[in-house]
Amino acid sequence: MKKILALVLTLALTMAMLAGCGSSAPAATTAAAEPVTGNATSGEVVWWGWTPGSPTNEAYIAEFNKLYPDIKVTWKQTTIDDYDAALKPALANGQGVDAFEVSAGSANGGIAVFGGQAIDLEPAVKAALGDDWKDKLSESSVATMTVDGVLKGLGVGTVYAGNLWINQDLFDKYNVKIPTNMEEWKQACETFEANGIIGFVQGAGQGAFNMDTYHAICDNVQPGVFTKAARGEAEWTDPALVRGLELWKSLFDEGIMQEGALGLMQYPEANNLFMSQKAAMVMMGSWYTSNTLPDTMKAAIESASSTAEPFTMIPINFPDIAGTGNVGSMFGDLDYATAVSAKSENLEAATTFAVWLGTSQEGQQTIADSLNVVPSLKSATPNWDVVKLVNPEKQNAAVQEYLANATSGGDNPRFAAINADLNQAMMDVLAGVASGTMTAADGAAHLQEVSVDSRS
Amino acid sequence: MKLKQKKSSTYISGLPWVLPALIFLIIIIYYSIFYTFELSTLDWNGLDPLRKSVGMANFTKMFKDKVFWRCLKNTVVYFAITFVIQNTLGFLFAAILHSQVKLPTVHKCIIFIPYILAPATMAPVFRLMFSPQGMLQSFFDTLHLGITVNWLANPNTALYVLMGIAIWEFTGMSFILYYAAMSQVDREVLEAARIDGAGNLRTLIYMVAPHCKGTTISLAMLGIIGALKTFDIPYLITTGGPNHATEFLGTYIYRQGIRQSHLGYAAALSVTLLVLAVIGALATNYANKGD
Repeated sequence: MKKILALVLTLALTMAMLAGCGSSAPAATTAAAEPVTGNATSGEVVWWGWTPGSPTNEAYIAEFNKLYPDIKVTWKQTTIDDYDAALKPALANGQGVDAFEVSAGSANGGIAVFGGQAIDLEPAVKAALGDDWKDKLSESSVATMTVDGVLKGLGVGTVYAGNLWINQDLFDKYNVKIPTNMEEWKQACETFEANGIIGFVQGAGQGAFNMDTYHAICDNVQPGVFTKAARGEAEWTDPALVRGLELWKSLFDEGIMQEGALGLMQYPEANNLFMSQKAAMVMMGSWYTSNTLPDTMKAAIESASSTAEPFTMIPINFPDIAGTGNVGSMFGDLDYATAVSAKSENLEAATTFAVWLGTSQEGQQTIADSLNVVPSLKSATPNWDVVKLVNPEKQNAAVQEYLANATSGGDNPRFAAINADLNQAMMDVLAGVASGTMTAADGAAHLQEVSVDSRS
Repeated sequence: MKLKQKKSSTYISGLPWVLPALIFLIIIIYYSIFYTFELSTLDWNGLDPLRKSVGMANFTKMFKDKVFWRCLKNTVVYFAITFVIQNTLGFLFAAILHSQVKLPTVHKCIIFIPYILAPATMAPVFRLMFSPQGMLQSFFDTLHLGITVNWLANPNTALYVLMGIAIWEFTGMSFILYYAAMSQVDREVLEAARIDGAGNLRTLIYMVAPHCKGTTISLAMLGIIGALKTFDIPYLITTGGPNHATEFLGTYIYRQGIRQSHLGYAAALSVTLLVLAVIGALATNYANKGD
């Protein structure tokens, strides 16, 4: 009897212990008692993220170590799809994460989800840039990283979308006119198809890029209406947005989207088709600009299992498929920012790194010259004397004009205003409308329903 | 009374031997299950200190969720078709390899190899194979068949492609189990059937198949649980799309819990998955006992 009692007690204690583990105390979500200013000169930092990926991140660290040789930064990369799944338990556990990448809105690493685990970085930014720090950084990098009035991440750079990239060499070779409207786009695709090349390629199986295309179409129909709906200031059943869904469907019906687009991923498949010159046009944003650099493009071409030489790619406006004349709209938000884990044992060192990457002239110049993102620090712009493109004669002006247009686009966020539920619903609706299992009107009604539900 | 005391004594003296495993089991499995139950009553993103209790609201939401029902439908269709085809093939291969075939070891390896290949390794190959720019399309183009391979992009065909891949992968497992079961069939019984005039097909259907009933039921149980847990093949090849056409409970739990940070709702789906798996296991167990 005593043995049974002992056994029961042991089991009960075990369960009680485990239950104690389960209902953990509230996480350390607020800043430490003392404001962290990032004044460390030594320490170890583990930096988690998904972008831009090795070896670029290691190059940033190497630049950082020129100023801070005694702060050892270790880059820990996961895939974009696995990031949230890997980071959540690591942050909850509080071990092995000092600095981590976050993004705006509903994308992976969303600040809305992970911001609660990050410290307030405002004291550190003030110490680095002075009281007028907000004027020195891009608006999106501050606005999207501020949660409940607290600066939770330091933006590294912004990405913009809304344009196409074309292979100018293929356009020249087959004497194809750069499309500016639906008819020309259709004609261009037909010409390329006749020559065994995919005209326009999109990995419509990867929803985020479909949202970019839909957003571009809606801005073409009526500028600003997409953003208003995303913020709940307009209804998704607005005729302009329904028209946008119809035009989205027409891309599939008119043969602009390649055969089997809904089964294709943008990365790696659509990207590889473009990089291996099997496709002439692709819907990508400003992050693709880095491919105009010979070394970056060569690496991308090799990743696409091609041995071809780098080619001339240039950005063009999304064609005026609605026939409204509203073209050139660009929308964007922070590609990523650096947050510092509230549970880090290396708060000062991690903050020093985050501040250097997001606000220092040296750090942001490195970002600018990589052409991967548009830097958060306004004074850091690509040094065109140093930056050499594949075909400077054809690309320099186009790329510079493109980046200038992107950064002057005004208040038009890419994902920042879209919550996770609306994000999923939009991906579902776009796939449903494209495959013909849902009408544009039904799709719009569903978006409106989810939009209302997710805000209540 | 004495017998009862003896039994009780044996029970207690055996406890120390199983206690480490029991505690391990409680920590790893039962605690996780209870914790999942607790999570299913919360509205929580998995990180926030605020964990809002919502009672059974996640379950109510689940029953109204069209995607959940789509997952269940996909699971049933997937199980029914893959179970019948892969076990029929496994049974036939096992029967053939019990006869006098040349190079039996080579054949066994060929049938079994897909089972040991990691889906993560094979997924890019299948994506390439079923791509409109892929090898299957090139093959059809060479034959001028006029077939366009966009099956993964079509909500009506994507699930069947995944079923084909699952059959390719798991037939080896069915084959091995049937092969082992057939090795236990008494040769004298088969010879008696032959003497009574039974041909190959009759012997297979009326003599061999009944002997393999236990194996079939075990495979059914594994198949039900496997179908409910299906994750890797749809996640890696179609990510549950297009438009949830290949969504399963496993992929949907991941989507809700990780992508959309609805940990409570994902836990409610997990609890439902567990209940369905237990019902499936009990049903097949009951079928086995009913023999």
